[in-house]
Amino acid sequence: MRVTALLALAWVALLAGCSDESRPVLGGDAENGRLLLRQFGCIGCHRIPGVAGATGNVGPPLDGVGRRVYLAGVLPNSPANMMRWIRDPQSFGFETAMPDLQVTESQARDMVAYLQELK
Amino acid sequence: MKKILLTVVALATAAGLAGAAVVYGGFYDISATDQHLAPTYRLLDIAMRRSIKLRAASVTVPSLDTIGALEHGAPLYRDHCAQCHGAPGVAPEPFALGLTPAAANLAHTGRAWPAEEIYWVVRHGIKMTGMPAWEQRLSESELWAVTAFVKKLPELSPPDYRRLVADIPPHDHAHDHGEEPAPQRPDAERGRRIIQQYACVTCHRIPGIVGPNAPVGPPLDGIATRAFIAGALRNEPAHMVRWLRSPQEVTPGSAMPDLGVDERDAHDIAAYLATLK
Repeated sequence: MRVTALLALAWVALLAGCSDESRPVLGGDAENGRLLLRQFGCIGCHRIPGVAGATGNVGPPLDGVGRRVYLAGVLPNSPANMMRWIRDPQSFGFETAMPDLQVTESQARDMVAYLQELK
Repeated sequence: MKKILLTVVALATAAGLAGAAVVYGGFYDISATDQHLAPTYRLLDIAMRRSIKLRAASVTVPSLDTIGALEHGAPLYRDHCAQCHGAPGVAPEPFALGLTPAAANLAHTGRAWPAEEIYWVVRHGIKMTGMPAWEQRLSESELWAVTAFVKKLPELSPPDYRRLVADIPPHDHAHDHGEEPAPQRPDAERGRRIIQQYACVTCHRIPGIVGPNAPVGPPLDGIATRAFIAGALRNEPAHMVRWLRSPQEVTPGSAMPDLGVDERDAHDIAAYLATLK
């Protein structure tokens, strides 16, 4: 029994050692972000873990988006870039089906706080 | 009897745990600066030779004298092989000197290995060694020209080799393997095999393809039913083919590079992706 517990501990320690290095965070209220992702209709197009009804498959699924290297295939993934993308996806010089949803800065910050936690 | 059985089980368990401890503890030195232990090297070498022998047995060797080993094979060798393997009197490129195992000297291989085995390795490559598969990059006749040249290598002195390649213009990579037209009926199974030759799995999680699952681009599970490709193109076969062949044209500045996917491969890969519901 004790051996099993020790092995389990060692396993957890190993897993912890494998996690991504942390990214700079901009603050924001992740719980509010989770609600906003519903209210802005993000769930119609994206699969988002932890957000009820988020089963859309119009754009890419957002599970693990906190670890994804690029956003929209063009922006290095950082909280600041994710905010830019959410607030003004039409401003990057290429066609995208993602509409400008008039998300305010603080709303975007909250959404990003939630999305960056999806590892 | 019971005692013996228990001892065997205990020993096997201990061996398993010791192996797991070495693996999970990170004690195995994976670096290319640390040579293999001699028994490890022998074991891997035997496994490789036996594997190649078994699979090359069914290869039919054409007449090597008539396929232009020197005029066709030499430029291909110089432009695709010598970087890692070197050539008579020519060192490999500096980066290749850091490989473990170091790429074989092919003058020896040409003397010691039968042509069908050399052809098989050039065509299929060897896992975990740095030897790539060339079947997607060279035509059938080019694969045999390279094979024939490797068989000729042991007869060439360094000055022979130098003279041979001195006046040959650089090989035009753009025309490697030609351009294969769109297939009559896209072949999803071929697509699954060919997708591995474009390294897609280094950036995308793809069901059915074993890889690092690195989340560089979006995961492709469910891509068959996704409404848009790259957020911009309606998801239909012709658009998927276009995206696979020219991502930089669709989304200038995309991290997804143009990979030189030909028409046939793009159709077959798109057919495979269309199975990922």
